[in-house]
This record gives sequence, structure tokens and C-alpha cells, in this order.
Amino acid sequence: MKYESQKIAINYFMIAAVLFGLQIVFGLITGAKYVWDFDPLISIIPFNTARAIHINLLVVWLLFGFMGGTYYIIPEEAQAEIYSKKLANFQLVLFALIGVSAIVGYLLGWTWGMPFLEQPTVLKFGIVTVALIFLYNIFMTMMKTKKWTVIQGVLLGGLVMLAGMFLFGVFFMKNLSDQYFWWWWVIHLWVEGAWELITGAIMAFMLMKLTGVDRQLVEKWLYIEVGFVLFTGIVGTGHHYYWIGTPNYWLWWGGIFSALEPLPILFMVVDTLRVVRERKTEIANRVALYWAVGCAVMHFFGAGVWGFAHTLPQINQWTHGTQITASHGHFAFFGAYAMLNLTMFYFAMPQLKGLPNFKQSLGIQSFWFMCSFMGLMALSLAVAGIVQVYFQRVLGMDFLTTQGYMKLWYAVFWVAAWGFTAGVVLFLIDFFRLAKSKA
Amino acid sequence: MTLSRAKAVFIWGTAISAVIFLVLSYDTLVQMPKRTGEEKMDAHVVAGKWVWQKYNCNDCHTILGIGGYYAPDVTKVMSYRDTEWVTRFLKDPEKVWPNARKMPNLHLQDQEVADVVAFLTWVNGIDTNNWPPKPLLATAVTSGSPGEAVYKAQGCSACHMLDGVGGTVGPDLTKVGSKRDKAWIEAQLRDPKTHNPKSIMPGVSKLAPKDIDDLAGYLAGLR
Repeated sequence: MKYESQKIAINYFMIAAVLFGLQIVFGLITGAKYVWDFDPLISIIPFNTARAIHINLLVVWLLFGFMGGTYYIIPEEAQAEIYSKKLANFQLVLFALIGVSAIVGYLLGWTWGMPFLEQPTVLKFGIVTVALIFLYNIFMTMMKTKKWTVIQGVLLGGLVMLAGMFLFGVFFMKNLSDQYFWWWWVIHLWVEGAWELITGAIMAFMLMKLTGVDRQLVEKWLYIEVGFVLFTGIVGTGHHYYWIGTPNYWLWWGGIFSALEPLPILFMVVDTLRVVRERKTEIANRVALYWAVGCAVMHFFGAGVWGFAHTLPQINQWTHGTQITASHGHFAFFGAYAMLNLTMFYFAMPQLKGLPNFKQSLGIQSFWFMCSFMGLMALSLAVAGIVQVYFQRVLGMDFLTTQGYMKLWYAVFWVAAWGFTAGVVLFLIDFFRLAKSKA
Repeated sequence: MTLSRAKAVFIWGTAISAVIFLVLSYDTLVQMPKRTGEEKMDAHVVAGKWVWQKYNCNDCHTILGIGGYYAPDVTKVMSYRDTEWVTRFLKDPEKVWPNARKMPNLHLQDQEVADVVAFLTWVNGIDTNNWPPKPLLATAVTSGSPGEAVYKAQGCSACHMLDGVGGTVGPDLTKVGSKRDKAWIEAQLRDPKTHNPKSIMPGVSKLAPKDIDDLAGYLAGLR
């Protein structure tokens, strides 16, 4: 750590970690409803509320992580202190308040009712305000020195795209197909566009610092990776336009471009493994290294392979709207984005706390717990999904009867989720011990 | 590859994809009103869409295949359920479907129910490129008498067992025809309390007379 204002990141990371833990609690509640038909919580936290909270907490903790990561990285890249620490802290409090209001609101039945974008409109404008404050603060910091490094540029580009795309999800539309057409401009162009730029930039920065390889090399690869991400990902939005009332030429455009989407992720794996092999310094922070390499691999399997498996329209017509999507969703969000944030926490916290020789064994244990049990969760939901596709879609069996045949796999999923939870608990213990200790 | 070449890959890759996407999106938005039947989208449909969002239906049910995977997809629900059934179900889901995974009673107002039914009826008309696909073995599974079709559409199997398939809330119907005749069954269907005042079975008296006749005939034939 070279700049005092990088410490802004600490609070962002701590809030992100707490929300991550909460997300898992609501995940276990949501999952239990699949395993048992009898639902004692149905009048307090019915399935839709539990799911809304589970997925909103995911998005919010990831955003807190991205923001904290940005506040950590930008001073080093721009070689200047953050423009305004006060603004950064105000933004944190405002965002946390909006998050709390949204979740309390869901429990009281206050919702906008579109998946992932359940936040009532007034809160959405609050979120836009948070994004504007954040972007202003980051941009003004960059303007202090105007060192336009590629990492900074891609990171800023990703953040601007993230904020801009959100606007397409704010307005009520009379036509459901129109609503979903624009909804994907938020959801897809976030996770297969803006967020990939942010991930690429943050990962490039961390790999460069961890391994000591030349900036030139890292930035060249960053350009190629994000270039391919956007080339395949933008038209790749079409894989969501097969069946929602949109014209059938999307079957071609969406199918072909999204089939190429795993390529840039494969580049990232190759690139990560190469810079680690060609490292110029000994990597002391093994936990960060584990998470970084693990992130590349799990990102590839979760987003790339699991996505490719059902992206072609010939397959997707059978799998669309089944647990296959849920399997992919869990695996991809964890591999690509949760793991990026966990890498960032372990990369940055020891430096922010001045503890380069922190104890690493618990962090590595939590890594193995989370990765292996997430693998099992993704597999069991995939099997549940295959059962569903075969019985319900191919044989024409009724939805609820089919669910009965999937129960075993829901149970395996739920038990694996407890294993994953154990990993999260280990992480939280380790992380807060690190956050509380003094150099 | 040099840094400037890599930068060109980034800029051109992004630009080409963005242009293709924007052109196709424009054309899509031009075609959408016709493909979705916007001329039939009246005030009730729009009000129904808001009811759908207000109660966060979409985080349990999928629609157009998107949403929660906990409850059935409702995109084409009005193709296999009639207005009367959906209305009855929405007013008290547990009474119509007492077994297995439950939908909570949302205590909807009559107007809200009517609006959401109008919305679902409109959604049913969206051209979804034939999604969801017809089951490959559907003909083998669903072929049968009109009465059998009514049995399936009304969800009788939620409570009653037939040849080992179905619920256990009501009596097993596998051989009901050997115990009861058609007239008895028809009376039972119209008003379940005629034979047992404490019966919790929902009557289907609101069905078309032909449907009740078909259903009773089908059940009486099960021996």
C-alpha cells in the first residue's frame, strides 16, 4: 500500500464480506423449500422473497467488492490520492442504507417484481445516485495525474458501462416482451460485458503486482481479452432473445456469437497460468494466488463450459427455464465474480493492514471448501435439471410431478450448500481476524 | 502482437459487435408490436402486468422461461387452463391444489384477479418461436378420451391417485367405476357435499356441462 486513501477499501470489503455471509443464509432458506414441501416460513419469508433477497445480496456484495477494489487500485494506477475520501465514505453509507431498505422492504412485500431488479423505483434512483458519486470520485482522481494506463481505462470503461446499462432496467413497460428485451440489456450486458471488463482490469492489476511481470505484457493481454469478451458478448445477448417474443434471426446471431463466448475466458486461463509460471518475484501471498488461479479455472468452467452447454438454440429450447439455468447461475457467479472479490480481499487486506506475513492456512482451507462444494452444488443442480428436461419437456410430465422426481438431487444440492457454508464461515473468521489485527 | 495491435482488436471487436447488435435491436423493436399482439394489449392487460410485478410472482414462477424455477412456467398457462379455473385457483390456491408444494394465498381483490388473468391471456398470444416445445412423447402420454383430458386439466391428480400416480388427499380412483355409477359421480362433481357434508373437495360445477359429462363418463369407465 502506497497511498493513505487506499484504506477506504477496508470498510467496503468488510461490508461485502458480511453481506456475502447473509446471502448464504438466505440461500439455505431458499434451498430448503425445494427439499421439503412443508414450508413453516411461507407466511414470513415465502420462496419469492427469499430468492429476491438471496440474489439481491449477491449483486450488492459483489458491487461493494468492485467498488472497494477500485478504491484500492486507482490510487496506485493514477499515482495520486483518491479525490475525496468524504465522498467515498458518504457513498458507502448511502449504498448500505439503500441495501438495508430494499431487504426490509422485500420482507414487508415492497417490491418492483422483476427478477434481480426487484428494488422499488425510488431506491433505483438512489442506486443511480450512488453510481454517479462513485464514478465522479474515480474520474476526478484519474484527472489529477491523467496517467491513462490500460488497466485504469478498462476499469473506468467497465464501471461506466455498469452504471449506464442499469438505466435500461428502471422503467415500467406495458409490454412484457419489451420489458424483458431491455431487462437483458442490464442483466446480460452486466455479467457478460461490464462486469467482465471490471474483472479483467482488477485481475490484470493483481497478477501484475503478485508476479512482477511487465505491465506491457499484462495490458496487451487485457486488451485482447476484453476485446473478445465484448465482440462475442454484445451480440451474444441474442441467446436471451430466442423465446421472448423477439424475431427468430436471434437463434442464429445469438447462437453463433454466444458459442464463442468461452474463448476469451479460455484466454484468461492461459494468460493467468503463463504469468504465474513466468513470475519475476516469489509469490508470498499464497492465498491470493490460490484464489486468482482458482478464479480463472472456475470462471472458465462455470461461465464458459456450463454456459456453452445450453447456449445453442437446439438445446436451449429444451433447457430454457429449468434448473439447468440455476446450476449455471450458481457456478458462473461464484467462479467469475465471487472468486474475483475473494482474490481481491486476500490480495489487498494484508497490504492495507501492513501484515505481509499473515497466517494463511485457514484461507486456503476455505478456498478448498468453497470450490469443491460449489462444484458439487453445480453438478447436483445440473442432474436435477437433466431429470426435469427429460420428464417435463421430453415426456410431457406435469411440472409438480416432475419436481418430486428431482427431490433427491435438491437434497444433495442442499447438503453440498452446507459444505459451502462451512467454507464461507472459515473465510469470515479468517477475514475478520485479518481485518481486526494490527501491524 | 504489439500493444497498439491489441488495442485495435479491442476497439474493432467492440465496435463491430455493437453495430450488429444495435441494428438487430432496432429491427426487433420494429417487429415486436406485431409479434406480441400489442393491439390486444388493453388497460386490463397492463394493470394485470403490474399485479404480476406487485406480488413478485416472477421470483417463484417463470414467464417466457425467465424467473424463479420453483413454480410452473405461466407463459402458455391459458392454453391448458380456462379463465374459470385460474380465477378459482388465484382466489384460494390451496383449496384447488391442496397437495405438495404450496402457493400462498395472496388475498387478491377480484379486480386484481381479473386483470392478471387478462395479462396471462395476452401473454399466451406472444409469438415465442414455438417455445416451450411440444413434448416429444406427448401424444403417447396425453392421448385418451375427452374426459381424461378434463381430469388432467383440472388437476384432479393433485389429490386423487390413479394407477399409482397422484395424491393421497382424496380416495384412490383407479377402480372407482366398479363402485359408483355415472350419475353418482356426476352429482359428486357438481356438489361434493351431496354425499358427504364434510367433504373438502372443490366442486367443478362451473365447468361446461359437456366437460362434466365427459369427466363423469371417463371416471365411471374405470373398473
